[in-house]
Amino acid sequence: MEDDRVLEVNTPAGPGGKATAARAARSLSLTAIPVVGIGLLILVLPLFVPTFISSLVTKMMIYGLFGLSLNLLWGYGGIPSFGHAAFFGTGGYAAGIMILKAGISNFWLNLVLALLFTAVIAAILGIPAFRVFGVGAGATNPIYFLLATIAFGELLSRMAVALRPLTGGSTGISGIPEPDLGFGFRTTASTYYYLVFVIVAVSVYLMYRIVNSHYGYALRGIHDNERRMQALGYNTWLYKYTSWILAGVFGGLAGVLFAYFGGTMVPNNLAMITSDIAFWLVIIGSTTVFFGPLLAAVLFVGIEYFASIYLPARWPLIFGAVMVATIMLMPNGVGVEVLKLWKRVTRGAA
Amino acid sequence: MALLETNRIFVHFGGLAAVKGLSLSIEPGERVALIGPNGAGKTTFFNVLTGQIRPSSGSVHFKGMDITNHSVYARTHMGMARSFQITSLFPNLSVMVNVLIALQGIRRGRYDLRRYFLKDKELVAIAQELLESVALWDLRDEKVSSLAYGQQRKLEIALPLASSPDLLLLDEPSCGLTPAESSDITSRIRDLGPKITVLMIAHDMDLVFGVAERVILLHYGEIACEGTCEEIRANQMVKEIYMGSRKSVTGTW
Repeated sequence: MEDDRVLEVNTPAGPGGKATAARAARSLSLTAIPVVGIGLLILVLPLFVPTFISSLVTKMMIYGLFGLSLNLLWGYGGIPSFGHAAFFGTGGYAAGIMILKAGISNFWLNLVLALLFTAVIAAILGIPAFRVFGVGAGATNPIYFLLATIAFGELLSRMAVALRPLTGGSTGISGIPEPDLGFGFRTTASTYYYLVFVIVAVSVYLMYRIVNSHYGYALRGIHDNERRMQALGYNTWLYKYTSWILAGVFGGLAGVLFAYFGGTMVPNNLAMITSDIAFWLVIIGSTTVFFGPLLAAVLFVGIEYFASIYLPARWPLIFGAVMVATIMLMPNGVGVEVLKLWKRVTRGAA
Repeated sequence: MALLETNRIFVHFGGLAAVKGLSLSIEPGERVALIGPNGAGKTTFFNVLTGQIRPSSGSVHFKGMDITNHSVYARTHMGMARSFQITSLFPNLSVMVNVLIALQGIRRGRYDLRRYFLKDKELVAIAQELLESVALWDLRDEKVSSLAYGQQRKLEIALPLASSPDLLLLDEPSCGLTPAESSDITSRIRDLGPKITVLMIAHDMDLVFGVAERVILLHYGEIACEGTCEEIRANQMVKEIYMGSRKSVTGTW
C-alpha cells in the first residue's frame, strides 16, 4: 500500500547532493502545486459561481475540518471514536449560547471561549474514556471504548434537550447572528466564506504540522505498536489523552464555524447522526493520507446536495451505498487513490 | 551495589504460579543469561523487570531504587531497555522512522508540536550511526513490514540500544535466525561496550556460551541452578531439565 507516510519519510535523511534536490523538487510539485492551486481556486470561486455554490463550498470546508480533526485521533493515533460530534456540538452550542445568552458578540473572543470550553469537556470525558474503558495496549476490549464514545455524544445531546432555558431544548438554538469581527466589521454570507477559508486553512496547516512533529510521530508509533512505544520510554497514555483533547478542539472549531454558518444548533449536532458524518469522512477519505477527509468532505457535501434534489425522500441511502462501494472498490480510501493518481501525473510531467 | 536486584518475586496467573520466589542480583557490567525450558517463567520474569506485569508479591530494585510499581516508560528513562521475543516493531513505518522514534523516546522534546520530526538533524545523525552499525542504513527508507526476518531481528535489537541503556534485556535475540545470522548477533552483543549490562533469555547455546559470564537455569518459576558457562556445561541437572534426560523420555512415556 502506498501512502503519504512512506512518501514523507523518503524525503529527509538523504546524505545530501543531487538525489535530495531532486526529491525536494518532486515533493514540492507533489504538495505545493495542489495546495496553492486549490487555495487560489477557493479564493476566486465566489466571483464566478452563484451564492448557493459558494455556500456549499463553505460547508465542505467546515466538514473537511471536522473530518480532519477525527483523523488526527483515528488515522494518526489509532483511536477510533463514534462520538466525535460531542465536540462539534459542544463548540457550536458554546458559541451560540455565549452570543445569545451571555451577550458576547465579538467573534474572536467567542471563538476562544468556545474552544476553551470544548477542551475542558474533552479533558473531562477523556478521563473515563481512557482510564476506565481504555483503548490500545492494556485495554480489555476497545469495543467498550467505542460504546463509551457513542454514549458521550448521546449524553450531551440529551443534556442539550433537557437544559431548555440555556439550550432551547429539542428545537435547539436559532438566530445566531453573523459574526462580528470587531472594529464594527460584520461578515455577510459572502464574506463569511473567506473567514471560514482563512480559519480552516490555518487549522489544516496547524494539524499538518502536528502530525509531522515529534508529537505526531509518537502518535503514529502508538498506532502501530503501543507496547513498544512504552518500552521505548513514551508515556502513551498522555499522548492518547492529549490527542483526544486536540482532536476535540479542532472538532469544536468546526462546530463553531457551523453554528455561525447555519445560525442554528440542534441536539442532533451532538449525537450519533453528526458523528456519522465525521466517521464517513474518515472512512471514505482514508486514514492514511492527511488530506483524505478534505476530499471526502467535497464528496459528502456534493452527494448530499444532488441526492437531496433527485432523491428527496431517501437521500441518506446514497451515503450508505457510497460507503459500501468505497470499502469494496477502494478499501484504503479515496485519498490513497487520488494520491497515487497525482504521483503518476507528476511523474509523467517530470 | 547491584544494578538490578529482585527480591522473592511471585507471579500468579489465576491458579498457576509462573514465577515462584525469584531472587537474583546483577552487578554492573555483567553478562547474564537466563535459560530454561518453555514455560519456565523466563519471559514472565522479564515482563516483571520491565513493568509490563506487576508481580503478585516481591520487589524489584534498579540502581538502588524500588521500581516495583514504576511504569514501563519510567523504567526506560531510568536506563532499562528491552527487546521482544516476538518481533515488535513499527511495521507500517520506515526503518529510519523506527529508529528515530526509538531515539526520541528518552530525549527531550518528544512532545514538541512545532518542529518537523524528520528534519531533526541531531536525531537523524545518531540514527545514521546506529543504522550503519547494524548494517541497515541502505534499507532506511524501506517499510519495516517489507524487510526480511533476519533484518527485522537486527532492528529489534537496535531499537533498545537507541536509548543507550545501562541494563539491556534481550528476550531471545536470535530467535528464528539462521546459524550465520545468529553468530552475527552473538558477536554484536559481545561487542557492546562494558558499560552496558546484559540480561538475556536464550535457547541458543552458542549464543549463551558466547556471551554470558553467568548462566541461570529457571525451572517451573524457580532458579534450578546457576553458575559460569563451564559449570553449567558440566552440570548434570541442566542436562536433565534442559536437554531432557533419557530416563524421562523412555521411562515415563
